[in-house]
Amino acid sequence: MIQYFKDLLAARELLANLTLREVRGQYKRTIFGRLWSLLNPLATMLVYTIVFAFILRIQPDAGDPSGVDVFAVWLLCGLLPWAFFASVVQTGMGSIIANAGLVQKVYFPRIVLPLSLTGSIGINWLFEMAVLGVVLLFVGSFFLPWVPLVLVMMVLLAVYATGVALVLAIANVYFRDTQYLMGIVMQIWFYLTPVIYPVSLLKEPSESVGGLLGTPITVLDVYRLNPMERYVEIMRNLLYDNRWPAVEDMGYFVAIAFLSLAIGVVVFRRFENRMAELI
Amino acid sequence: MSIHAVSVNSVSKKFRLYHERNQSLKSAVLRRRRSVHEDFWALQDISFEVPEGSTFGLIGSNGSGKSTLLKCLARIYTPELGSITYKGRIAALLEVGSGFHPELSGRENIFLNGSILGMSRKEITRKFDEIVDFSGVEAFIDQPVKNYSSGMYVRLGFSVAINVAPDILVVDEVLAVGDAEFQDRCKQKFVQFREEGKTVILVSHAMDMVQDMCDQVAWLSHGKLVATGEARPTIASYLKSVEPQ
Repeated sequence: MIQYFKDLLAARELLANLTLREVRGQYKRTIFGRLWSLLNPLATMLVYTIVFAFILRIQPDAGDPSGVDVFAVWLLCGLLPWAFFASVVQTGMGSIIANAGLVQKVYFPRIVLPLSLTGSIGINWLFEMAVLGVVLLFVGSFFLPWVPLVLVMMVLLAVYATGVALVLAIANVYFRDTQYLMGIVMQIWFYLTPVIYPVSLLKEPSESVGGLLGTPITVLDVYRLNPMERYVEIMRNLLYDNRWPAVEDMGYFVAIAFLSLAIGVVVFRRFENRMAELI
Repeated sequence: MSIHAVSVNSVSKKFRLYHERNQSLKSAVLRRRRSVHEDFWALQDISFEVPEGSTFGLIGSNGSGKSTLLKCLARIYTPELGSITYKGRIAALLEVGSGFHPELSGRENIFLNGSILGMSRKEITRKFDEIVDFSGVEAFIDQPVKNYSSGMYVRLGFSVAINVAPDILVVDEVLAVGDAEFQDRCKQKFVQFREEGKTVILVSHAMDMVQDMCDQVAWLSHGKLVATGEARPTIASYLKSVEPQ
């Protein structure tokens, strides 16, 4: 295990170069270049805002204590992290197969392939969050004291997403069904995460159902097992409300993030040897 | 020469021959196993040693297991049994231009490809001019490699690889790239390698070239080692065995 991390440390330049390959290669020969990275979430934001704020009339509470009350901004605080997470999971999952030519011809620690995608998507995400930061200041959210914590949380999401991606990358080499299955899972997962609606909407139906199967566990308790639910709450607390997130939410997410990465690394290491012959 | 650059100790490599190639979850769940398969041993109990500073050839007919052994040596495949130990840094040249990104320039790709092959940024910067000179594509170094002719592409890839400067170089049949002049330069590079005391392991079907370059060879047939030894007599007996009766 120690040797494995030594090898990985030795491959850090390779990791940096592969990340740069993704970043530089991505928007080559486009007129708008890096702007495309912003246009995508912007378009999604526009669609969701029209559908959910104007047609379905979803009204999240105003930021407390910030007092900010703009649906589009509230949405983005959850949407940008989700988009990063989904993108890391889905491209990371396919990273080994997408680089089959490389895996079959050169030896290097294979783990750098999914890691480089976390890196390159992370760079785009940082760029998006910076723009969101400007918008937040503009609408009156004074989140600057929370910037260090936001950055820590961003790293933690990358940790969590990478762990998930590592397991799925291996699973996808052994079973190609994984990528199609995950297409569906991610869609369901998105709606199970309070990105486009506030959790408060769930309180009433959850209470009316009461404890499940005679236990005191409610629908809401089960719903809150989703680490992404906690994450979106935390980010909205910091960016939109400008207050400390609940300690148990933070603890829960930190634990899950590191657990995810640990499982990911162990699974990846265990199964990577036969990769070259299977793809 | 008692020091061995590479020791191959009873290496065996197994592949699965699938009767029903089925990488699907459905079959895994329904049958409680992934697929019906039969084991095929591509390499069986191979042992030999490569002396330090020698040029070592792997010969044998198609399907004899040369490439599988080469991939095991290059650490792309992991043998089921046995082990391979190295003394020094190893680099494998199984394909040129691995990991080139077509939209990036030749310059960017040298750094990318170099780091894939295990060079540090400092090393690449130091050798950059040499790499570019050797490839002969100076004029187009800032153009995206997708605009390169296939010859230029291969030459650039080869130049990066040859400059990795490992202690042990594992080479597949990539020497047959480029025009006559480029091939000549490659041969010189190998001579220089040998003079520097580096170890080279190569696979080739071109027997005159193997005889020309190698000190020792290992002859494989159907996944088993037939003989190892001095290049000339081993090649002669190999050629005799494949001659039509």
